[in-house]
Amino acid sequence: MSQPSLPTRSRLGGGVRDAYTATRRFLIRGRRQPDVIFGSVLIPVIFVVLFGYVFGSSISIPGGNYRAYLMPGLFAMSILFNSNNVAVAVATDMSEGVVDRFRTLPIARSAIGVGRSVSSLLLGVPVLMVMILCGLAVGWRVEDGLGNAVLAFLLFELFGFAIGWLGILVGLLAGSAQAADVIISIPTFLLGFISSVFVDPSKMPTWLRLIAYWNPMSAVVTAGRQLFGNTIGPPPSGVWSLDHPIVTTVGLALLIVLIVVPICVRLYSRSTR
Amino acid sequence: MSAPAVLAKHLSRSFGATRALVDVSFEVRGGTVCALLGRNGAGKTTAVRILTTLLRADGGSALVDGFDVSTQAHQVRTRIGVTGQSATMDELLTGSENLETIGRFCHLGAGAARRRADELLRQFDLLNAGNRLVKRYSGGMRRRLDLAASLIAEPNMLFLDEPTTGLDPVSRGEMWAYIRGLVSAGTTVLLTTQYLDEADRLADTIVVIDRGLVVARGTPEQLKSSIGRPFLRVTLPDASGAATDQVRQLLGDEAEVQGRSVSAPAADGLTTLSEVVGQLRRLGIATHEVGLELPSLDEVFSSVTDHSAGPEPSPTPVGGEA
Ligand SMILES: Nc1ncnc2c1ncn2[C@@H]1O[C@H](COP(=O)(O)OP(=O)(O)OP(=O)(O)O)[C@@H](O)[C@H]1O
Ligand SMILES: [Mg+2]
Repeated sequence: MSQPSLPTRSRLGGGVRDAYTATRRFLIRGRRQPDVIFGSVLIPVIFVVLFGYVFGSSISIPGGNYRAYLMPGLFAMSILFNSNNVAVAVATDMSEGVVDRFRTLPIARSAIGVGRSVSSLLLGVPVLMVMILCGLAVGWRVEDGLGNAVLAFLLFELFGFAIGWLGILVGLLAGSAQAADVIISIPTFLLGFISSVFVDPSKMPTWLRLIAYWNPMSAVVTAGRQLFGNTIGPPPSGVWSLDHPIVTTVGLALLIVLIVVPICVRLYSRSTR
Repeated sequence: MSAPAVLAKHLSRSFGATRALVDVSFEVRGGTVCALLGRNGAGKTTAVRILTTLLRADGGSALVDGFDVSTQAHQVRTRIGVTGQSATMDELLTGSENLETIGRFCHLGAGAARRRADELLRQFDLLNAGNRLVKRYSGGMRRRLDLAASLIAEPNMLFLDEPTTGLDPVSRGEMWAYIRGLVSAGTTVLLTTQYLDEADRLADTIVVIDRGLVVARGTPEQLKSSIGRPFLRVTLPDASGAATDQVRQLLGDEAEVQGRSVSAPAADGLTTLSEVVGQLRRLGIATHEVGLELPSLDEVFSSVTDHSAGPEPSPTPVGGEA
């Protein structure tokens, strides 16, 4: 029998290869779940209609078109929702025997987590495309050059990568898919709505306004609006994170990754339960 | 060939107040089959999960192929194949995609992983189902695929947790044949089972676990002979008095009559049998059947795991957790 020669590559090389194998597996799985794909496309589209027209017709943003203000917010929301899907999918994986099988294989400890997070980013790209088309259809425009727009999307993806790992963490800690769903939906909801994603926080009561200003989602969305040139909107808030939204977003994403990734890697390979 | 393939020393593990393993030690010699035998909840799966690096022991130590399962988990993982008690195949992947993924994780390379997957699908009679999603597989097909998955890297140490539970008698026979084939090719196998006949047929040594403790161990023959002597049973064509009395006298003081059959311990086994047959013929007694009955592993099993003697297995509190 032809015994394949044992790889003598560096640990990094092996890790990259294992992560690739894991990503490949998650992509195949992702393709076979049309209901999940459909849901993650549909919800943002519903949001465009709901907020762009239903609520939007009675929301006024100083100096311009509410839908142009809204779209960067919805891009960020779709990325936030993606981390919900990740949490549920990870929890489902953990409750099935598949992860046990992987843990008896000689694979890099980071492979499954990296595969999950990279595949969820890739699966999120078509959703973002649909959102962009919707946005263009309802009057949102890139007003500061294509280069900056690309930067904006890269920034969103970086943020998505970071909170994807938060989703993985929730999925690993929750006992079941249902629990993961509940645990992550509440912060997602609060982060999304008590922010400048949908409205201008300057009209909120003081305490809520402060929360909304300091909410990281506000920084992410503000960064996006700046890069897209959609600078209509609320007057300057005087809050540091909103005055430096790009730095804040990048810093926050790196911080999350630095803290959460090692925890997730440990949890995945933990000899457990 | 001196170091054992598996060496478990004083393994213990608790889940909250449940003591799944109290103190379990055993070893498996390379190239042999060892069966962990025990009732539901005896601790078999816990022991296997510790040996396959999935679970940490609270106490004790275990070496697999000379490597420590807790400190050298990676080395252990490169040497073992594992088929757990519950299915570990991805339902949303096809059989061949599942095997290929595992092959890639075992670092076979894409082409070799693909070829190995095909080879195993053929070997396990799944070639036609290779491109079907696993969620459409029957229970027996899943079990075979799971076994195939544990063989991808051609491990020389195989752990099988209840490999035949849920299989029909034919599939079970096939599974036994697969396992025997692997063993004759030099693989060491540690399997768990609740079925005595399975342990009897497959295992070189049996370790009986009960409530987290080893209660008996040995070869199937040793276990049987430790528990009792063979019995001789003479069955007559009918329950008529005269012949029954004659046979009872022939079989001695310990003979017992049950309907139309008479039985007694046969201390010398086959010698006793041939003597009795000779005498029956000489006396002209017509018989329906004469046979020697060896004690079954069932008896061994119920005698060593007899729970009626003690209290029901109840969670024994450990530590200071409340
Ligand atoms: N993850 C867990 N959490 C809590 N208790 C557990 C866990 N795993 C096992 N146990 C308990 O440990 C004991 C031994 O379980 P184990 O699964 O090892 O038994 P088993 O011999 O494999 O049984 P079976 O034949 O039913 O598979 C049982 O009482 C079980 O309830
Ligand atoms: Mg079990």
